[in-house]
Amino acid sequence: MPKSVHITTPWPTSEEVAKRFRIPKRRQKELDAMAREYVKQLQAEEKARGTNLKENEKQKDASAAD
Amino acid sequence: MPPLPIDLQGVFLNIPYDEEFRSLYTAYIVGLCYLGFVPHIAAEIPGGTRRLDRILKLIKSCRFSIHDLSRVELSVPPHSTPRFNMPLELGMTITWADLNPGRHAFLVFESEPYRIQRSASDLNGTDACIHHGTAEGVLSELRSAFWRADAPTVPQMMGAHRFLEKSMESILERNGTRNLFAQGVFQDLCRLSTRMSELLRRAAGY
Repeated sequence: MPKSVHITTPWPTSEEVAKRFRIPKRRQKELDAMAREYVKQLQAEEKARGTNLKENEKQKDASAAD
Repeated sequence: MPPLPIDLQGVFLNIPYDEEFRSLYTAYIVGLCYLGFVPHIAAEIPGGTRRLDRILKLIKSCRFSIHDLSRVELSVPPHSTPRFNMPLELGMTITWADLNPGRHAFLVFESEPYRIQRSASDLNGTDACIHHGTAEGVLSELRSAFWRADAPTVPQMMGAHRFLEKSMESILERNGTRNLFAQGVFQDLCRLSTRMSELLRRAAGY
């Protein structure tokens, strides 16, 4: 096999994966909740990073004005 | 007899089943799910048939397979024994791929560069993907091996890997086992990773 393969197959959906593995609906819901928690966490981190960047820029501007 | 259908998104994972491999195990799952694949391991098929038959059936059904030969050392004393399972399954795969070109392709992963030339010199000419024994190495090598234009970055996949590691206890508890490779645990990890990837792609607008 070449060391790199160009992948063009469609992304499998979580429903397809659950179907292949026969994961019960109730467990799927629990896993969905965990995934949502992760995405929320990431979005909060990104927001915090954005706020920090703005704060840093403000501080830089203030010290340049001094 | 018509040939068996191939799962184009299926990747058979030939890895050591031990606790010390935990971080790399979750890295393979996250990496493959984040790159649009569905990983498979021998443990996911219910018993009844001979283990080797189950493995061969999985290899035949998947478009790709990954063979991690990084744990070729002897097992823990007092019964120190070399681990032959991974090379054995790689041998079966090589034969299958050779007899069925275009149906199956395999990748060999190792932690140390050039060690494969010593441990399995017949594989000379096969470029191994070297992960240096780290989750980041696994993700980076997977991303290079399976190239897609809209692939997530390695730091994005590392974030998912950390989350999976943190969630492992509750997943093990929910499945009533301490075995990372138990069918339910493996399937939960795959389903969770695929859903995380799906939500992130949706949030990014593609």
